[in-house]
Amino acid sequence: MNESNVLHTGTRGSRIIGILALIGLAWMVVFGLLISPPDEVQGDNVRYLYLHVPAAFLTFTAFGITAVSSILYLWKRTRSLTWDRIAGCSAEIGVVLTAVTLATGMLWGKLSWGVYWRWDALLTSTALLLVMFIGYLALRGLEASPEVRARRCAIVGIIAFLDVPLIHFSVNWWRTLHQPASIGPRKTTFDGPMLLSFFVSLVAFVLVYIWLMMHRNRLAMMEQAMDDHGLQMAIAERHAEAIA
Amino acid sequence: MMLASVIQHHVLNIVGGYVLVLGSLALFTWRMLGRARKLASQLPDKDKPWI
Amino acid sequence: MLRTARLIAAKDLRLELNSRVTAFQVLPFAVLLVVLFAFAFDADAKVLIPAAPGLFWIAVLLSLFLAVGRMFMTETADGALDALRLSSLDPAGIFLGKAVALLLELLLLEVVLLAGVLVLYDVSVPASGVVLLVTTAFATSVGLVATGTLYGVLSAGTTVRETLLPLLIGPVVAPLLIGASRAFEAALGTRRGLDGSVVVKVSEGWPWAGLLTVFALVYVAAGLLAFGALLEDA
Repeated sequence: MNESNVLHTGTRGSRIIGILALIGLAWMVVFGLLISPPDEVQGDNVRYLYLHVPAAFLTFTAFGITAVSSILYLWKRTRSLTWDRIAGCSAEIGVVLTAVTLATGMLWGKLSWGVYWRWDALLTSTALLLVMFIGYLALRGLEASPEVRARRCAIVGIIAFLDVPLIHFSVNWWRTLHQPASIGPRKTTFDGPMLLSFFVSLVAFVLVYIWLMMHRNRLAMMEQAMDDHGLQMAIAERHAEAIA
Repeated sequence: MMLASVIQHHVLNIVGGYVLVLGSLALFTWRMLGRARKLASQLPDKDKPWI
Repeated sequence: MLRTARLIAAKDLRLELNSRVTAFQVLPFAVLLVVLFAFAFDADAKVLIPAAPGLFWIAVLLSLFLAVGRMFMTETADGALDALRLSSLDPAGIFLGKAVALLLELLLLEVVLLAGVLVLYDVSVPASGVVLLVTTAFATSVGLVATGTLYGVLSAGTTVRETLLPLLIGPVVAPLLIGASRAFEAALGTRRGLDGSVVVKVSEGWPWAGLLTVFALVYVAAGLLAFGALLEDA
């Protein structure tokens, strides 16, 4: 029964989005590294802007989508395991994006501040966001009935996302009470090619996210199907082998 | 010491950052598609609503 | 709701008193932490005194992980949580009851810990700082137990609870830890300049205590809401 199986998770839609995303990323690399001129203030460091800022933006979008899907799951009138699945997929992609956002943020920081890390509100809350969603994924990985898991994870996902403003606020207050506010990325004036490169990168990252979501969601559907009747299928297969 | 001087070097730092991001995304994609392929081979087509 | 809360709190505290795990395991562990911190910082008063507020709250947090794990270990031992769920008791009442029981344990622990810090690190409480100290400790503890109770129920019955709980609770209560450490710093006057004068005054701690109170209310409200969703019939 396995010979005629469809092995891929692609459709025409996902292929178009995937190709556009690849073109966008290639454009980002070419513009960001070669064509875009060095900034007057930041010099070549500005090239991180095209990489880091869109990734950071998508990080928060991904976790925001997790939070919204979680709310939709908990709300009785829209309760469906579909929302739970979307929340989980988005969180997984979000964790990858957060990790690369933090990594590029630190590399950028080393270049422009001379240190990898500063205890400012944005960095600190992003780091804690990463830890919270690693915990979320750990909770997701536990054995439980789909409904129990969905409910648990929905609550944790919403709380993790809503906690970010509290962390941001308290860190901000803490740092500004004891010392002058840390200097953010210095003001950069954007002009034609830089602005264009930035938006191309942003669109590329959005497309990458959508493409990943499509495939990850289809994988999650199969994981669910495997949980539902994978065992019976395996038994049936063994049975058939034994008879043969 | 070696690593520190590489990171201080602008070109290497920035190119490294781009490689890191694109590499991580590629690795994630590769593993995801690999797992999808494996599961798809074990499941009948009726469990794949996108077809 | 309040009757349910009282019932649950009384039951949990009675269980704790009978088993004495909190008294003879969690509490000594907290004191041990105070001693270990002194080893780590070479028992140097110049380092220990400024660090005391933060070390106090770290010790509280680590003990909270143990206490929460402990509280819900007894709860899942024989499917007691399912019994609670089916008992038609008000979920909000169950949440409040468990949180109150945990709060009393935590406050007791903080008293012992504070005594340990005062004695071992040679820190003293100025008279003007007492009210701030108590307010901060209470508000922070309320926020901590609200989060702890919710996540305790969430992870009840899972096999990796001991390792998962700290990972889940830790980042969520980070704002409380920041605020409580700063407020204690002001209340205890542990941040001093080179000439020995107090740099962060008691009055500077009050905004933090206010913030902590707001946070505590937010955590309790979120806990109540989420707990209802968690225990509702599937």
